[in-house]
Amino acid sequence: MSDGLSVELAHYLSVSGIIFGIGIAVALSKRNAIAVLMGIELMLNAVNLAFIAFARLGGNFEAAGGDPLAGHVFVVFVLTVAAAEAAVALALAVLVYRRRETVDLDRITLMRW
Amino acid sequence: MSDLNFDYALLIPEFILVGTAILIIMADLFRKELGLGRLVLPAIAALGTIAAGAASLAYIDDVDDFANVIAIDNYTTFFRVLFTVVLLVVVVSGYEYVERNIRHTGEFYALLLLSTVGAIYMAGARELLTAYISIELLSFSLYVAVSLAKTNPRSAEAGLKYVLLGGVASAMLLYGMSLIYGTAGSTQYSEIAAAFSGGTSEYGFALLLGLVLLIAGLGFKASAVPFHMWTPDAYEGAPLPITAYLSATSKAATFALLLRIFAGPLLPVIDQWQWMMATIAVMTMVGGNLIALQQTNIKRLLAYSSIGQVGYMLMAITTISDASASALLVHVAGYLITNLAVFSAVIAFHNRTGKEELDDFAGLAETNPYLAMVLTAGMFSLAGMPLLAGFVTKFILFQAAASGGYLWLATVAVIASTISLYYYLQVIRRMYLLEPARGESGRWRLSPAGYIATGTLTAGVFLVGIYAGPLFTVADRAARVLALS
Repeated sequence: MSDGLSVELAHYLSVSGIIFGIGIAVALSKRNAIAVLMGIELMLNAVNLAFIAFARLGGNFEAAGGDPLAGHVFVVFVLTVAAAEAAVALALAVLVYRRRETVDLDRITLMRW
Repeated sequence: MSDLNFDYALLIPEFILVGTAILIIMADLFRKELGLGRLVLPAIAALGTIAAGAASLAYIDDVDDFANVIAIDNYTTFFRVLFTVVLLVVVVSGYEYVERNIRHTGEFYALLLLSTVGAIYMAGARELLTAYISIELLSFSLYVAVSLAKTNPRSAEAGLKYVLLGGVASAMLLYGMSLIYGTAGSTQYSEIAAAFSGGTSEYGFALLLGLVLLIAGLGFKASAVPFHMWTPDAYEGAPLPITAYLSATSKAATFALLLRIFAGPLLPVIDQWQWMMATIAVMTMVGGNLIALQQTNIKRLLAYSSIGQVGYMLMAITTISDASASALLVHVAGYLITNLAVFSAVIAFHNRTGKEELDDFAGLAETNPYLAMVLTAGMFSLAGMPLLAGFVTKFILFQAAASGGYLWLATVAVIASTISLYYYLQVIRRMYLLEPARGESGRWRLSPAGYIATGTLTAGVFLVGIYAGPLFTVADRAARVLALS
């Protein structure tokens, strides 16, 4: 398996970690609500990749008597919930835009902590 | 694999709640055709809630774990009853407010009912995917509910901020779950516990990162410092009944989930998360109470006050044991009663005046002594004065922490609790020592629903404060399910 050329769990997890990092950086640094939403989607895709990689290649599943299919099922649900989340967030963005003509989070400042 | 012969009757309370939600949406759609009055929707919601609460009381001591997906046991039943009571209080004390400020009242009640289902399953979840879906059912309903007051520009803004920060938190929570799934090899709590109790040295960094992300994600939902940024904004922008609901069910459900997850699957790795939980607990207690000192809006004040309360509850998770688990349940119940008493008084005040700044409460003791008394009892109880619910529940919570070897944490909690007295007294000082604003010195009365809600809850605050024995017994029985030693 590990002849130095095959793709293993660690590689998938690295990619997933990098995507998650990019996603969280985008979500926390962008000022546009839509861009923040894109960052969240990236983070969720990193989650999906990690779940699939663990379910396919995780070494300790048989030992623990675990169910590798749980990871696949999880991904299906995450995809569905992500779609619902995008729908709710975009609807709210439209609601704010109608009133303020902007979705720039630095300018949506009726309330400040 | 197990067969599908489960005791489905145990799920009847949730069936009732969902059925009521669908019925309300339908009734709202055909409101004009059917000629329904304005009281019909809240009446359906209240009846459905009462039915669900009664149905859950019928299944005390019945147990089924639905193939390790959702456990219906005394712990779940405890929270079921708690959440249906909260829902009933919010519907009764809030319907006048809803009628005036929200255009689509059907959506309001339906979302509340559905989010309560999510909250109950958060308490019952025995598997990561179920836990995640229930969290999102609660959160999504609340994202929309927060932004329902379409006439108020703050409402939409609060909803947008809440959904964006909530999305980031959910993604972190999920990544933490994926790492725990990867290290333990299963999403079921019992399997995770079995995997982790067999030694975790080989997982090392992955498990630690998973725990950090899980705590960050759940900390956000519980609004623990430093993940609390959304709380004051969502509280201020949301319609008042939703603010009450956010501070009650949303918090309690998160702690129901936290307790089940940290007392079960993650208990074997307690050494790796205990210090994180202790740090967050200290930051939350101190931070929440200190920032509350400078608030001028009653909703924001109560937001930071609830953050402070979350800190005390996190302390119980840190020192997890049989005693602190049951103390946490008692404190959650006492906190819900007290907080709802305060909120139903604030809702009644807002119905009359339309205001929510602290200075607007000046002279309330003169214009409505009853409401001032309710608010005073609630505020003193939140601060932890003897004879009131807050004292008893805080006392056993701090005692459990101290006897669990965390005396320093309990000391911090006592100091933070003393600080909190200052800002609660600021509200009371305004009501009793200041004169009412010019031209507003006439006496006024509450609506009957307002009297019922505030009266019952204030009685509850005193009852728990003086005669808390039954609550202890019930919480003990609920906590025994967790099988902590």
